[in-house]
Amino acid sequence: MVRIDVLWRTAARRAVMAICAAALALPAAAQTTITYSDWQLAQEGWGKSLRAAIAEFEKENPDIKVKAEPVPLGQRDVRFSTAIRAGEGPDVFALDTNPIRQYVAEGWVRDLAPFITAAGGRTFLADFYPNSLVPVTVDGKVYGIPMNTVAMALVYNKKLFDEVGIAAPPKTWDEFREVSKKLTRSSTGSGPVDRWAFTVVLAPAGFDLRVSSIFRAFGADFLTPDWKRSALDTPEAKAAFNFIIDMIVVDKTIPPGVSQVDANGARRMLANQQIAMKIGTTWSFPEVSAMNPQLDGLNVLKIAPMPQQPGSKNPIHTTLYQKSLFINKNAKNPEAAWKLIKFLTDRPQMERWFDDNAMLSSRRSVNESYSKIKQSVPASVVANEIQYGAFLPLIPQWPQVLEVIRQNLQAAVAGSKTREQALADANKEVNVILERK
Amino acid sequence: MIGERYTGWWFVGPAGLVMALILGFPAIAAVLGSVNLGWGSTKPFGIDSYLRLWGDAEFRQSLWNTAIFVVSVVSLHFLLGMSVALLLDRPLRMRWLFRVIAILPWTMPDVIGGIIFRFIFDTLYGGINALGLAIGWIDQPVDWLGRPGLALLSVILAEAWRGYPYVMLILLAGLQAVPREQYEAAKMDGAGAWQTFVYVTLPNLRTMIVIALVLDTVWECRLFGMIFGMTGGGPGQATQNLTLLVYRHYFQFFDTAYASSIAVVLAAILLVAAMPYLRVAIRRAE
Amino acid sequence: MPRLRIAWVMTYVALLAMALYNLLPFFWMVSSSLKTDIEVTTFPATLLPRALTFEAYHRIWAQEGFLQYFVNSLKVSGATALLSATLGVFAAYGFSRFDFRGKRALMLAFLASQMLPGVLLVGPYFKMLSLANLFDTHFGLILAQTTITLPFSVWMLKGYIDTLPVEIDQAAMIDGASRWQCLFYCVLPNILPGLVATMIFAFLLAWGDLLWALCLINTPEKQTMTLGITNLVGQFRVLWSDVMAATVIGCMIPAALYLMLQRYLVQGVAGSSVKG
Repeated sequence: MVRIDVLWRTAARRAVMAICAAALALPAAAQTTITYSDWQLAQEGWGKSLRAAIAEFEKENPDIKVKAEPVPLGQRDVRFSTAIRAGEGPDVFALDTNPIRQYVAEGWVRDLAPFITAAGGRTFLADFYPNSLVPVTVDGKVYGIPMNTVAMALVYNKKLFDEVGIAAPPKTWDEFREVSKKLTRSSTGSGPVDRWAFTVVLAPAGFDLRVSSIFRAFGADFLTPDWKRSALDTPEAKAAFNFIIDMIVVDKTIPPGVSQVDANGARRMLANQQIAMKIGTTWSFPEVSAMNPQLDGLNVLKIAPMPQQPGSKNPIHTTLYQKSLFINKNAKNPEAAWKLIKFLTDRPQMERWFDDNAMLSSRRSVNESYSKIKQSVPASVVANEIQYGAFLPLIPQWPQVLEVIRQNLQAAVAGSKTREQALADANKEVNVILERK
Repeated sequence: MIGERYTGWWFVGPAGLVMALILGFPAIAAVLGSVNLGWGSTKPFGIDSYLRLWGDAEFRQSLWNTAIFVVSVVSLHFLLGMSVALLLDRPLRMRWLFRVIAILPWTMPDVIGGIIFRFIFDTLYGGINALGLAIGWIDQPVDWLGRPGLALLSVILAEAWRGYPYVMLILLAGLQAVPREQYEAAKMDGAGAWQTFVYVTLPNLRTMIVIALVLDTVWECRLFGMIFGMTGGGPGQATQNLTLLVYRHYFQFFDTAYASSIAVVLAAILLVAAMPYLRVAIRRAE
Repeated sequence: MPRLRIAWVMTYVALLAMALYNLLPFFWMVSSSLKTDIEVTTFPATLLPRALTFEAYHRIWAQEGFLQYFVNSLKVSGATALLSATLGVFAAYGFSRFDFRGKRALMLAFLASQMLPGVLLVGPYFKMLSLANLFDTHFGLILAQTTITLPFSVWMLKGYIDTLPVEIDQAAMIDGASRWQCLFYCVLPNILPGLVATMIFAFLLAWGDLLWALCLINTPEKQTMTLGITNLVGQFRVLWSDVMAATVIGCMIPAALYLMLQRYLVQGVAGSSVKG
């Protein structure tokens, strides 16, 4: 009888031990998977860089697995909006500044307050440029963490400049116009023109950053500083508008077919030496150089601040681009999502983004103290320009306003409307859009 | 012969069920969305979207563009499709080769077609300008996609090229069912080619022609990829059609109610315009 | 006779013109696909490659994983074509040979569903798929694409079935055949050309779809070919030679399919089956 007793007790003890072991083993076996979606995962350089960072993150956090989901930039909002509306969507995703207000208004992104407080609250945020926090903050609530911030500037081909005897990049718009005329020529000397000076991005992809920089460099802007009314009726705006059209239609210093040129088309033209200047930023260097190794881009391309309109009192003369990271409202494991965001925007990764992709950081400390950034001339120029740049209007109606301006500029260039009509129409329609809602 | 009515339901059932399940709910949701009753809507029932449509110049321009585009493209499709179908109906040497070539344009999906033709019509890098310059037809690159009239023409030509095998295929299959005895009889009566076409081929093909035209019209009205890829609706709004407008408002401006109302208006116009032809097709041919 | 010969010469001339018209863009595509990145964007553009290279084809195979995309597309489009043809033939037979209440409304509903742009339907459909756990699956995509191809298929097939005289069915039923047997043994063989045309049409429709593939598939390995090609055209790069190479192959596959099926697009026995 005693033996059976002992047997039962042993069995019971063993069972309890087994259950305890199983219970202890469970957390180690439980793994969370989060999805990260970014259009730059589809790019060659950035994709490798991001995946390397993700691998490092997974090593540091063995209980979190990250599934990378590339999405084409042009279709990003289509895919995200469809998924998030239906209660799904990637846990962490990247956005540029354009649609942020819409995403916030639709309730698709999480308020990051609890995570930021846990990470140090104000001290945590203090390292980011105050500018950079503006797009991601709505009504005092921070919804995203800025990752990369750059300012638009003038990228030019020094070799082509030397060929026509231009010593320095143009500092005013009048100089710019003169320089452009010199740069437009035939490479063979007698044949048709096949080298131009510049191009304007009139297709949707990339229009916003580049054309708005031109307007701002003229001392104008698309909207008034309070974003409530159109600023297209100012004389400066008219000057900028006319300047662009003059370059295309009168001077012909811009290659034909300009209305189809998008950001990538402009890069391609610069790579093939079909143009000598374009509006770009630090990313232009690796991108353009990769397109045409014979160009020797890293040596031949230089960057300078945007030309200015003399007498302009506006301190802002260029546009800022920023990429920020967000957590999906529907995310099932926001803590894991936050860990990924914090990782990707911490100093070590910021340095990686510059090393791999020539992208400046949204963290002031990194831009000002990282040796490689300080040594790189283009990076220093652009970093310095950030203080003179502003973001595009951060209102939900912005995409529609932008389309109206772009379509009217295209119409004026194509000649289906006169310049005055196009500008007046744009001004009127923008105000109509802003007054609605 | 009219069959037992319930058996009819059994035959139609599965397809109807699939459509109802998968499409029914979204379609109704879309229509409701246009009057602010869509899910997630914060506004009460209202036809404000439709009122806004009424005064929207961009809507009118898109409507006009759609009309021009569809009429031109469907006509070209019919002309090309009918001719080629007739050609391919004959016993030919290497007929299989010609038939495969005949369908090639249509193997290009409309989205990809948009990208490809954007490149073909590109001012600096495109094939049309390259060919034109090489044979001396033009001496300067022509801005096909940047001038409003030319852009619309380019889009029409591209889609005419791409889509005509669809009509050709429908008509070719239909031609197979024309009884050969009628052709023999016509020949014995001394009819020429044109008379044979008008009095033998056309009447037999009538149903299929109507169906081909109706389906092609519906298809071209909702064409998105080709235009989006080639011009994005530009320059200005010169090539923007209604489907592009819906896309813009839905995905770029996040204005789902307005997008729904445009779509509903488009569907309504199509239904009304197609109605008389549909009556012919719904009834059995005879 | 001279008149007959002229007619044949003109026929072949017309066919050659058709071939030239159809093939010209493809010629440009193939030529561009064999150029280097730089040459494909030079100005003035060259008609034939100056430096012939297969690097574009190599890239899309090795780097971009297009083999997987082609397979995915074949699978999804093929399944969609078969599904629509099956469901479609039943429905078309029902609409053609029967008269029942709501027939006209139902036919109109089928067609009307195509008059709404897919843009509006994607969202709610996505929600339904995710509820059924079919999101990011090929099956969910097949169902979605079937809803695009089914209405047109039904209308086309009904047209073809309509061209067959009802007497065929009557004759068969007098001999004791059921409705099903009528459909399979009398009607189907006679509308083979129409069936083939409809299936090709459904296949190509599914093959070229972008919107549904974009929204319903997230995993890169499950992407379709059309989505893959669209991804080659991004804001940060456009490798035109790659796009051309992928498209050339993307068009050859349906063409090959058509080549196999086109033998059925011939005169059936329809014309003579009614006599005697």
